[in-house]
Amino acid sequence: MRIDFILGTIFVIPLTQMIFFAFVAQLADNPTSSIAYVVVGNAVATVTYSSIFSVCQTTDNEKQAGTMEHILVSPANRMALYFGRGLVPILISLATVSVALTYAVVLFHVAFAPSAVVPLAISIVLTAFAMVGFGLLLGGVALYLRTSIILGNIFLFLGLLLSGANFPVSSLPLPLQWIGRFLPLTWGIAAVRAGLSGAPLSQLLPLWGLVGLCALVAFGLAIGLWDTFERRALATGSIARY
Amino acid sequence: MRPTLASRNRSRSLFASLRLAILSFVADPQWLVPSMIAPVIFGLVSFELFKGSGPWFVLYAILGAGMMSMWGQTLYGSGWATGQDRELGTLEPTLSAPTPYLYVVLGRVIWNTVSGLLGGAIVFVVVALSYGRPVPLQDPLSFVLLFAFVMVSLASVGIVFSAAYVYTRYAGFVQNIGEFAFYVGTGCMFPVVLLPFWSNPISLVFPPTWALDALRYAAIPGYQGLPWGFGWDLVGAVATTCVYLAIAGTVFVRVERHVLEVGNLSDY
Repeated sequence: MRIDFILGTIFVIPLTQMIFFAFVAQLADNPTSSIAYVVVGNAVATVTYSSIFSVCQTTDNEKQAGTMEHILVSPANRMALYFGRGLVPILISLATVSVALTYAVVLFHVAFAPSAVVPLAISIVLTAFAMVGFGLLLGGVALYLRTSIILGNIFLFLGLLLSGANFPVSSLPLPLQWIGRFLPLTWGIAAVRAGLSGAPLSQLLPLWGLVGLCALVAFGLAIGLWDTFERRALATGSIARY
Repeated sequence: MRPTLASRNRSRSLFASLRLAILSFVADPQWLVPSMIAPVIFGLVSFELFKGSGPWFVLYAILGAGMMSMWGQTLYGSGWATGQDRELGTLEPTLSAPTPYLYVVLGRVIWNTVSGLLGGAIVFVVVALSYGRPVPLQDPLSFVLLFAFVMVSLASVGIVFSAAYVYTRYAGFVQNIGEFAFYVGTGCMFPVVLLPFWSNPISLVFPPTWALDALRYAAIPGYQGLPWGFGWDLVGAVATTCVYLAIAGTVFVRVERHVLEVGNLSDY
């Protein structure tokens, strides 16, 4: 990632996205989706740019640069490779959500108690890990696609609809609610909202547990998927077709 | 009067560029999808937020989503026309060809306008289907005409961007970062009068602000938009679109002459 993209992702996109949905919420004047509710949801949802879209695109970039085949035949430790791919996006995701929540508090006057700093920090770190794990999982799927842009675009924005970023998940039809429950962003947003509102530990712990579980499942599935595709690619020599 | 050699070359370049744009699209039409995913989702999110606000609010969601889709196609298509040439290494040969570069870009812009309208129509249908009831349109014909005009106003902005992108390798950055700012600035999902007053002059610099406001005046009864109303909105939209097209033509000629004189195109 280039530095201009990183700075744009951290400082500009969250602000403009939050302003956009804040005005939509103002016009809608919907009691279940106040401006503060929408602003916080979008502040967390902007994590998808660095955690899903960028991570997903690394597969494309490696294919375009012709480095994918070299990676697949290298004897390098696979765990180091997978986590190495995710490390920088995790840091950028942390910065993005932190800056976005600062905008929410300073510009949109979202209530924030000083005692909420630690729970909020834990929620943000867990969310960033879970989302990057999810991005790596999608990057694994993208290995066998000609391009990851469509996949990346779908999951970049799907969270805005299904994860409770703009309105409670319970407003959605039941099948969509279930899909939403499988997205790490849903639990990440819930954990951040709970952290911001100064919820007790008894309420936060289950949410952190769910975000952590999402992270473990996503990283596990991503590694499994990459492993399977890698074996398949080596056995059939078919990676160059995609 | 017989066309001159120069005008024949220009129209030949224009059609060749248009043909190539169509063939590229037909070979891989999936590229329409990325510019539609975000608008469809934003449309559905807004539709959900507007639920219970009255039947006319669905039009805000539909118009906004349609505009976003068209803008996506315009910005990423027309605006990217130069960036694509730069990446493929065809910018220098195309600029040094005897036919002005504007005609090559224009061919792409024409196709992007058509495919943008197609994308806008698909987004319209998806959000309208989610609504589950007939969309309350008072005058469908004028709605369609104004919708198409919004696309033309967007294309005029795209051409100016395209000309400016000759001088920068940060086109992708500007596109990604500027997308939401443009949606906010032009009031694509809400009346621009909701924005702070100081920002209104900036919004009015963009033709789609006027065109969208006119479209809402025509489609939504009791709409409270820019104070001068539908007629002047339309005049403003036509005028700013013409100004943009004139600027684009002038900028293209100057940019082309400048980079040919200085020979520094590869610096960017």
